[in-house]
Amino acid sequence: MNINLLTQIVFYFFAGMTVLSAGVVVFSRNLIHCAFALLFTFFGVAGLYVFLGADFLAGAQVVIYVGGILVLLIFGVMLTQKLYELHLKAETFQFWPAFALTAAVFLTLITIMVRTSWHKTDLQPLDPTTARIGALFMREYVLPFEVASIFLLIALIGAAMIVRRRSE
Amino acid sequence: MNPQILKDLSLFYPEITLALALLAVIVVDLAMPAKERKTTFLVACLGLLLALAFTIPLFKVPQTTLFYSMVTVDPMSVFFKAFLILTSFLVLLAAPGSKELSKEHIGEFYALLLGVTLGMVLLASAVDTLMLFLSLEMVSLTSYIMVGYLSSERQSNEASLKYLLFGAVSTGAMLYGLTLLFGLTGTTKLSVIRDMLFHGAGAGNNSLTLFVLTVLVLAGFGFKTASVPFHFWCPDVYTGAPTPVTAFLSVAPKAAGFATLIRFFFTGFSTLSATSQWSAVSTMNWALPILMISLITMTLGNLAALRQDNLKRLLAYSSIAHAGYILMGTVVMTSQGLQAVLIYLITYLFMNLGAFLIVIEIYNRTGSFDLKVYRGFWKRSPFLTISMTVFMLSLMGIPPFAGFFGKLYVFGAAVNRDLAWYAVVGALNSVIAVFYYARVIKTMVMDPADAGGDEGRIRLSWASSVLLWVMLIPTAGLMLFWDRIQQLTLSSMKLFVQ
Amino acid sequence: MIGLGHYLVVSAALFSLGIMAVMTRKNAVNVLMGIELILNSANINLVAFSRFSSGNLDGQLYAIFVIVIAAAEAAVALAIVLSMYRIVKSVDLDRADTLKG
Repeated sequence: MNINLLTQIVFYFFAGMTVLSAGVVVFSRNLIHCAFALLFTFFGVAGLYVFLGADFLAGAQVVIYVGGILVLLIFGVMLTQKLYELHLKAETFQFWPAFALTAAVFLTLITIMVRTSWHKTDLQPLDPTTARIGALFMREYVLPFEVASIFLLIALIGAAMIVRRRSE
Repeated sequence: MNPQILKDLSLFYPEITLALALLAVIVVDLAMPAKERKTTFLVACLGLLLALAFTIPLFKVPQTTLFYSMVTVDPMSVFFKAFLILTSFLVLLAAPGSKELSKEHIGEFYALLLGVTLGMVLLASAVDTLMLFLSLEMVSLTSYIMVGYLSSERQSNEASLKYLLFGAVSTGAMLYGLTLLFGLTGTTKLSVIRDMLFHGAGAGNNSLTLFVLTVLVLAGFGFKTASVPFHFWCPDVYTGAPTPVTAFLSVAPKAAGFATLIRFFFTGFSTLSATSQWSAVSTMNWALPILMISLITMTLGNLAALRQDNLKRLLAYSSIAHAGYILMGTVVMTSQGLQAVLIYLITYLFMNLGAFLIVIEIYNRTGSFDLKVYRGFWKRSPFLTISMTVFMLSLMGIPPFAGFFGKLYVFGAAVNRDLAWYAVVGALNSVIAVFYYARVIKTMVMDPADAGGDEGRIRLSWASSVLLWVMLIPTAGLMLFWDRIQQLTLSSMKLFVQ
Repeated sequence: MIGLGHYLVVSAALFSLGIMAVMTRKNAVNVLMGIELILNSANINLVAFSRFSSGNLDGQLYAIFVIVIAAAEAAVALAIVLSMYRIVKSVDLDRADTLKG
């Protein structure tokens, strides 16, 4: 089997896994199923990153999204079991109008994706990116890096503050 | 260390001060015993005042970009820096006097306020789409937390959740639009984006893409400035949040949202001609969607406010309507229009914060935001009633109060651009607004007080009175400062376009 | 050959599904999952454009920051949901509609 065909098969596998699990996330009635489907979505996206040569990003995706955010979401789902019946969001759309709107959005986006002449550059060789990303953090991206650290500090304080028990 | 970065740091003192003050407040708050509130308050005050002091010299600095073109230092960004830090300072002064906030431990609130100020200052100076998104999210996330500060109260929690979910979707859509822009141009720097768009990156098939991405990006900007149709979070969040937070949200993040909207579209999608006339990229006249948004926003905000009995909801819809007027200044795409936006924001700051201050005071005494408890307030406190009348008249746009000048300049900018019909719509909307502002005045002055209510005279603490005078003087006596304000806004309306 | 278009179609699909989740789901955690889908779709866009449209790593760095922001947002969202759960659990289970829509 030549390498091209193999590449295509693996790509379609990852892409399919991503989109199908996203479908489960959106349409499933069972919240736990949604959470686990989201796991496969995140893995699928990480696979796509590897295809695009973003090795550091793929690792970060798995560690942060699956290891952090997904675990947090599952905690949230488990700890607030009874909230199935509690409608935390009063205004929702009916299913079919929302579906129609979503389909319209999807078709518009597909048209754009295919018809636009995107900015093209030469394809760089697929080198490891970690060292280069690290260097960029200290040069071109030093300001966002520092701002992100303060941002995370604030998020940490805020989240802890909201959840802690008042001693009264 | 990189010498360029070291040089840039010397122009970055306000932001550094804010970050250090944030850390200092956290540390002091941990070190002090729980009952001791004054120290953290003083540290926060000092931090904001120092940051403001560092901002003033930046007005004279030549325009430049910092940190590899991530943020810029130009007159408009310095103006907004000073404006936003001043707003945070005034809200900080109002915070200890509010009964709602004193239920909870207030040390973190000061830290959050400093954090959101840092985010807003960065937002107003961002010239890179990554920096724009990062600071936008920083402001938004901290606001969600501030709204949910009273985490033991149901209303505060609900408001916070609604705000977060709505905000995250809007900014997520905006991010998607920004990624499309990245794909069209291959860069995240606004100045390079502009060059590419004017050299045909947006032509032909790409014009549809440009349109779609503009709509997506406007979702984020519309959310931050509470413009229709991205305003749905506004009334509920304003009502559920603690009132000092509402007062803050109605002025500062909104102003930061306008600053970044202006910068994004004016430096990224337009060029400046010699006659201080801006013209948009031929394939995407972004002024058109904003014009439509502005018209609907003014109208819907004013019409919805007519039916409100809760002061906070009324002021929420009022602030939505004012966003519509401010957008008028950006649609006309002239430097005069930008100057009008700056003037409007200055007047809006004082009159809106003033109105909210009075709402806080009355809540402290009566425990309610309902218009009913405002009946016959003239007898209980003439000072509060007169002040409220001044702020309401100013919000209406009646001369000689500050609000009149804001509207005058914005409508004038429209007329000068041969968009007289636009100014007429604005004026008609102002007339509609008179009805609900006047209703508040009438309730306070003329209606008889409820029989079961408290009849006692109200005396304000000296701190609250001073703060109220600080809002009153610019609102009522703007003409005294007119020269300075004119000069300030005239020199601040310049954007750095390299 | 796998080209830019393939990745963009995947991201468009994820974005649309994310919007669908946000519009139709009633549970806040579900809506949060929809938001994560939207952010992931934007990330795919960024990394794909980084490879095909810009010759450098700008898009990948942008994506890292988006992941950071998404994590912080999810943490705060769940903190609020938990806080609400505590309040509501002590009162009778009932709709979160004290604020007029």
